[in-house]
Amino acid sequence: MKLSVFHRTTYEYASPVKESFNEARLRPVSNEHQTCESFDLKVVPAARISQYADFHANVLHYFELPEPHRTLVVESSSVVTTRPILIDINATPASMELRPQCQRMERCFDFLQECTYIEKSPEAWRLALDITADVSDMWQAGIAIMRYVHANFAYVPNSTSVHTHMRDVLRERMGVCQDLAHVMIGLCRAIGIPALYVSGYLYNGPRDQLLGSQASHAWCEVFLPGTGWRGLDPTNNQITDERYIKLAVGSDYADVPPVRGHYKGTTERTMTVEVIVEAC
Amino acid sequence: MTISETAEKTKGAASIAGSYAQRAGVFDELLGRGGVPREHWKTLLSELDALGGAELSHRSESANRIILEQGITYNVYGDPRGRERPWQLDPIPFVLDGAEWAKLGKALTQRAVLINRVLADCYGPQDLLRSGWLPPALLFAQPEFLRPAHGIRPPGGIHLHFYAADVARSPDGQWWVLNDRTQIPTGSGYALANRLVSSRVLPEAFRNCGVQRVAGYFRQVQSTLASLCSRRTDEPRVVMLTPGPYNETYFEQAYLARYLGYSLVEGQDLTVRDERVYLKTLSGLEPVDVILRRLDDDFCDPLELRSDSTLGIPGLVEAVRAGNVAVANALGTGLLESPAFMPFLPGLSRHVLGEELLMPSVATWWCGQKPAEAYVREHSGELELRPAFRRHRGFAGAAWDAKDLERQIRFAPHLWTAQERVALSTSPCWDGAHLSPHPTALRVYLVATPDGGYTVMPGGLARLGAESSAQFVTMQGGGASKDTWVLSDGPVEETTLIHPAGGVVELRRVGNNLPSRLADNYFWLGRYAERADATGRLLRSALLRFNPESAGSEAPLIAPLLETLSAQGQFPDGCGGTADELEAALLAAVYDPSNPGSLRGLADKAEQLAMLVRDRTSNDVWRALSGFNECVSASPDGTEPLATDAIAGINRLLLQVASFYGLSRENMTRAQGWRFLDMGMRIERALYLATFLSHALRAEMADNPSVLEAVLEVADSTITYRSRYSLLPNLAAVYDLVLLDDTNPRSLLFQLLQLEKHFARLPREKQSALPTEAQRLLVGSVASVRLLDPRELSERNAGWHAGQTGVVLRDILQNLPRLSDAIAASYFAHSSISRA
Repeated sequence: MKLSVFHRTTYEYASPVKESFNEARLRPVSNEHQTCESFDLKVVPAARISQYADFHANVLHYFELPEPHRTLVVESSSVVTTRPILIDINATPASMELRPQCQRMERCFDFLQECTYIEKSPEAWRLALDITADVSDMWQAGIAIMRYVHANFAYVPNSTSVHTHMRDVLRERMGVCQDLAHVMIGLCRAIGIPALYVSGYLYNGPRDQLLGSQASHAWCEVFLPGTGWRGLDPTNNQITDERYIKLAVGSDYADVPPVRGHYKGTTERTMTVEVIVEAC
Repeated sequence: MTISETAEKTKGAASIAGSYAQRAGVFDELLGRGGVPREHWKTLLSELDALGGAELSHRSESANRIILEQGITYNVYGDPRGRERPWQLDPIPFVLDGAEWAKLGKALTQRAVLINRVLADCYGPQDLLRSGWLPPALLFAQPEFLRPAHGIRPPGGIHLHFYAADVARSPDGQWWVLNDRTQIPTGSGYALANRLVSSRVLPEAFRNCGVQRVAGYFRQVQSTLASLCSRRTDEPRVVMLTPGPYNETYFEQAYLARYLGYSLVEGQDLTVRDERVYLKTLSGLEPVDVILRRLDDDFCDPLELRSDSTLGIPGLVEAVRAGNVAVANALGTGLLESPAFMPFLPGLSRHVLGEELLMPSVATWWCGQKPAEAYVREHSGELELRPAFRRHRGFAGAAWDAKDLERQIRFAPHLWTAQERVALSTSPCWDGAHLSPHPTALRVYLVATPDGGYTVMPGGLARLGAESSAQFVTMQGGGASKDTWVLSDGPVEETTLIHPAGGVVELRRVGNNLPSRLADNYFWLGRYAERADATGRLLRSALLRFNPESAGSEAPLIAPLLETLSAQGQFPDGCGGTADELEAALLAAVYDPSNPGSLRGLADKAEQLAMLVRDRTSNDVWRALSGFNECVSASPDGTEPLATDAIAGINRLLLQVASFYGLSRENMTRAQGWRFLDMGMRIERALYLATFLSHALRAEMADNPSVLEAVLEVADSTITYRSRYSLLPNLAAVYDLVLLDDTNPRSLLFQLLQLEKHFARLPREKQSALPTEAQRLLVGSVASVRLLDPRELSERNAGWHAGQTGVVLRDILQNLPRLSDAIAASYFAHSSISRA
């Protein structure tokens, strides 16, 4: 499926700020599931943009704005072709017995640990054990956890901030896509299933039906030995398919914010985000 | 004392090592089998015998004096004795013979090379991980593994530019590594300071023992850092990045920066433009090529590393990635500091270097491996449990009982290591009367050479501890240290950093550009020193005139003095109460440390500012400044000070300030630092004078000779006045002398003219066609003062402050703070607009 994405973030500062240093993770990845056909990043005020790959192989753009400015616009346009390698919802590709072997794999290790917004608390471990009590396959365990999170956590816009920790979401039982993904990842990791955080977009057709669309979306991927990483979206209770565009992966949100910066000046600011995902 | 006399004295006395009692079960550095001194100690021992015990105690005291004078300190967090603690040095050096040292150096060089190779792999291809030589948890679970630094290849492939190892000798005489220091190996500056002191207190022994010099190591440091520069330039700019003066080793940083000739900078002094690092100086931005880092790497960049860091430079990691700046040690080197790596080093050495590891580490078990975990559980009583990673959240250390630890290990085994307890060797220390054995560990320093090898500092920091464990060798413990003498087999090579060999030096009349922050600190140092001076003079005049028996009648005479102090917020308002209250308030204004405006508070503030420019200040100036608060500290035995004590204290303080001024005037080059110091002092003096004069004019009896005498006294112009006028103080004549006389260095006009001179020489002030705001303010003030005619004062009988003089003083009082702000805005705040 060929999709186009327009993503504009606008910061308005109450008074001019300066010495602004920023990084953006806005370029969709190219891998066996999707290809980024074109990508254009625009920054106003204009700045030289350099690019490199971070530790998780995400493409990162860096730019500096030393001069005083009141507005910052970061705008990306990309065209992506998705062709996900689907896996049946009833498949049983990886026995739960295989979990200890993941512990020793260098590409899984990070995704089994605690991190900024995710912890492996005894409560999470107990809960995850209960959810997966009669499951013998890692994929099925992931699906069980996804269903549980979807059924028991309310999607409530603006109920949390970008810095909300998973333990608070577990208590409040509500959040946005980022929080639901954090909870699901925490539950998976608690019982030894490697899980990572994905930031991206979701195309929902001309009509706005699915949650998390027309905005940045977040979901998670679980690792299945012998198969690889496969996506599960707890917000919409579905396996990720051709409508999902992957931007970046990390241990949690802290690894992959679309735009992150550091500047000198007022903390009084507003941020507006526009995202349009269309089929082309 | 001549040598023959010394010999005479000690003849018959027992040898200095006579009563030295070797401890059982440990290796003794001094005595070998049968209590016979080891060969390499013999020269030193005979030198010490020649000195005799009394002389040695005397030398030991003079060592302490040098330490105090040089201001060699170590900050210990939470130390009740204040922020800084003098460095403790035992006068007896730790002696090692050349052959043994060569072996030690070879082993540590091998270890440094190995660690560098492991770092290069961890931050690069990670083959060791894939091939199973390192478990993933060891790397990925470490907070010290900085993911943003992965994939960055530093210049020459050198990650570990500086390496230090804590080594110690076990009872069988074998050397072991207790700790690897790979993040920021601290202490080489203290080793250098120790060398300076020990060679001065034991010059004869130092000469006769043939001690290897350490200067060659520091020369290698300079050339290694210079080689990291990516620009083509003869003079790469190297800066030392410090976390600031509250860091525990700030003294060392300032000391090394001065010795090596680098600017000591804080994160806020640096900025990034187009992926290149610049130093903010008074004349704009200047490129920086190499950063010698004394700041923990995760604090270095709030953008990519710890976002809560206020000490770092946003964009630094990207500048490093782009290859425009080199950081030493490279970002992320703290990784190998974890004791959890120690059990893997022998295997890694065979695999990576194809060699056996030459020096073993102290036996260490990393609980991340099942067999090790089981062993540690079984033997937990005999082992020293340590967090595997330095920044281990929630480790409560000794507060945990065995059960807590057991649970912690079970829950997250990979966060724990256990180490064997080590019985350290003992070395002789001087306890004031005898030599006695103390457990000793040695920190050895290595610096990388551009060809991929390492140079070892022949010497190091020997540290004394009371107990024997691997953890005691921390600086925070605050124990005593020793110089380390490595004896030379051949003639000693003389090197010093002052005359680098070869090369033509480009002559200069100005130093490297002054960082804006330092200019700021100099400016405020000048202001606070002068504020202490002016406050001291005002208080002294008040105390001299204050007489408890005639408080009522004298009050009007000291009113202008007190009003001036309260106008500056240094004295409670309207303190015209009883004589006792007034006296108490005056004494509090001198001694009260909790009042920032008291003399004591000002002295403290001046000292703090002096700390901030420590690396640019000579020792003499530092001594003069650090004497400020002693003069106005209440006596330690708790007796209430009297007015006479206060006057004596103030007199001493004024002398200290004068010696500070004198030293800075005579010893500092007329460069930017001095200029800002003097500007601060001039502004403050003008401010106090103008405040005082306008209050004196407002007094009911402004023409009373007693009030005028106070004016002359505060302006330190009494003698001048008497030499010119042989009459009682006259209003017009006094105001002419303290306002308008441009030959009187205490007059208002003199201060303004000095400021004008400084302004003319500041960078950037001359570029614009129109005068800057600061220039406008200054020119206006000078003109209005020059045009004054103080004779108008004599024509009045009352309401003097309403006349022309009063108006001008009021204007000046408004202009001076604005002038100060204008200077701050154009030089210190450093707007981001790049002029470089």
